[in-house]
Amino acid sequence: MNRILALLFIVLVSAVPAGAAARLVSGVSNDTIQITSSFDGERLTFYGTIAPEAGSEQRYVEGPFDVVIVVLGPTQDRVAREKTHNFGIWLNTEQVEFKRFPSYFHVLSSRRLLEIADINLLNRNFILPEAHAMMPNIAGFMKTLVFGRELIRLMSEQGLFGVQENGVRFHSDTFYSAQLTLPSSAPPGPYIAQTYVFQNGEIIARKSEGFAVRKIAFERFLAQSATQYPLLYGIACVVLALFTGWLGGVLFRR
Amino acid sequence: MQIYLPIAELSVNLFFLVGIGGAVGFLSGLFGVGGGFLLTPLLIFSGVPTSVAVASVTGQVVAASTSGALSHYRRGGIDLHLAMYLILSGILGAFGGVATFSVLRAAGQLDLFIAVGFVVLLGFVGILMLQEAVRALLKSRQGIVVRERLPNQHSWIHGLPWRVRFKKSRLYISVLPVLAIGLFIGFVGSLLGIGGGFVMVPALVYLLRVPGNMVIGTSLAQVVAMMAATTIMHAVQSQSVDILLAFCLMVGGTAGAQFGAAAGQHLRGEQLRGLLALLVLAVAIRFGLSLVLTPDDVFSMAVTSAVR
Repeated sequence: MNRILALLFIVLVSAVPAGAAARLVSGVSNDTIQITSSFDGERLTFYGTIAPEAGSEQRYVEGPFDVVIVVLGPTQDRVAREKTHNFGIWLNTEQVEFKRFPSYFHVLSSRRLLEIADINLLNRNFILPEAHAMMPNIAGFMKTLVFGRELIRLMSEQGLFGVQENGVRFHSDTFYSAQLTLPSSAPPGPYIAQTYVFQNGEIIARKSEGFAVRKIAFERFLAQSATQYPLLYGIACVVLALFTGWLGGVLFRR
Repeated sequence: MQIYLPIAELSVNLFFLVGIGGAVGFLSGLFGVGGGFLLTPLLIFSGVPTSVAVASVTGQVVAASTSGALSHYRRGGIDLHLAMYLILSGILGAFGGVATFSVLRAAGQLDLFIAVGFVVLLGFVGILMLQEAVRALLKSRQGIVVRERLPNQHSWIHGLPWRVRFKKSRLYISVLPVLAIGLFIGFVGSLLGIGGGFVMVPALVYLLRVPGNMVIGTSLAQVVAMMAATTIMHAVQSQSVDILLAFCLMVGGTAGAQFGAAAGQHLRGEQLRGLLALLVLAVAIRFGLSLVLTPDDVFSMAVTSAVR
């Protein structure tokens, strides 16, 4: 009995290293982002504080901490294509498809990512953009590597992928905030913001928040009709066109 | 002022859209063409996805051609019998075009085929038109009065079977070339997002010898009906018709077309045709360069499934 208790004690102590008994209390400014006809991107604020584990004896936590926030958009199948010069013209010849690739991916951190933690730990938790392109792919390892890197570059140029290594600001030892501007090209769907708290290169707390980017009102109505009642939608387009054309003729008849 | 396009899923400046709609509408009113061959490339070059650009412009072409078709109808300038044959074969061709469109989009070759299609079609038509216009201009310089002559000698086309009498056009010709023209224009028009008026008009004049007072009206009626069918097909098949984008273009286009038509009365016919030829060639060359020159970025990406 004593031996079991002793073992249990050792397990508990090793599982909770000193100073690591922390939890994250966090929030995000918007839980839905509404796409209206004048939608031109939206600013989000993430904030939180690092507190002692609930029910623990500790009154305060000891820093320094690092915070990394990973914002992940809905996934899509995406292809990266390469043009080559054939018969005097440039045409797409090679392509690699990436299944379930994030349509949006931004990392905000309080310090350089590689100073915060080891690259393997970052990759394992999909904190680096490259991790998303390194999934096993039928195209083979080398091709996946090359096309994956190019896909991430293209996504970054469109503002859909990005890393801001000074994106998280600490206002005190334990309170942080971060701002992210979601571009108008960010696709609608469910988003997840994963917040990681690092200390001495290890993750000591994590929490995820969800928010949604949604078309509302008229935009939602149009997009839904286009996919759910394509025939009616098409007919409506034609009627609108005929009417506009007719009206134009009537208004400007000389 | 930015406006969010729900199908293209991007926000574009409203004044830019109405502006290019208006500018293209002006040119289409000036030259009496639908303007799809200018609008589709302009949208593609300004960042609208190719599939959305092509599908939405078909809607705009319907609007642009409607007022013209109506006024020709009131003047009795439409041979409905002939138009019916062209429309039915055109819709059949459009089915083929829309199906090819989806296949090419999935294979990642849509942009290539649209570029090649524009180069070949516009290059060919542009050179023919330019030749004709330059010849007419030179002759009028020399003081020779060029009459609008309709060549009335019969060619091999008139020897084909299944002849039908088209009363209004005073034609007794085989339906085969009529159906072939409709099929071709339906296919190309739905694939490239153009009405095909600038192909239809010369085809009616030179191949079928349709009289001048029937050509424009019949061609416009065919464009309206065929592009209306194509818009519905694109909406069902690829779901890439952006009604908001199309509407912005329509508003600019119908207004611009009226000013273009007014301006066109100050220019002579061969001058207009020469200018149109240059415009058509310029678009062909722009697409040709995009195929031949080394692209800024040899890599590109595309989404192959919906968001989930």
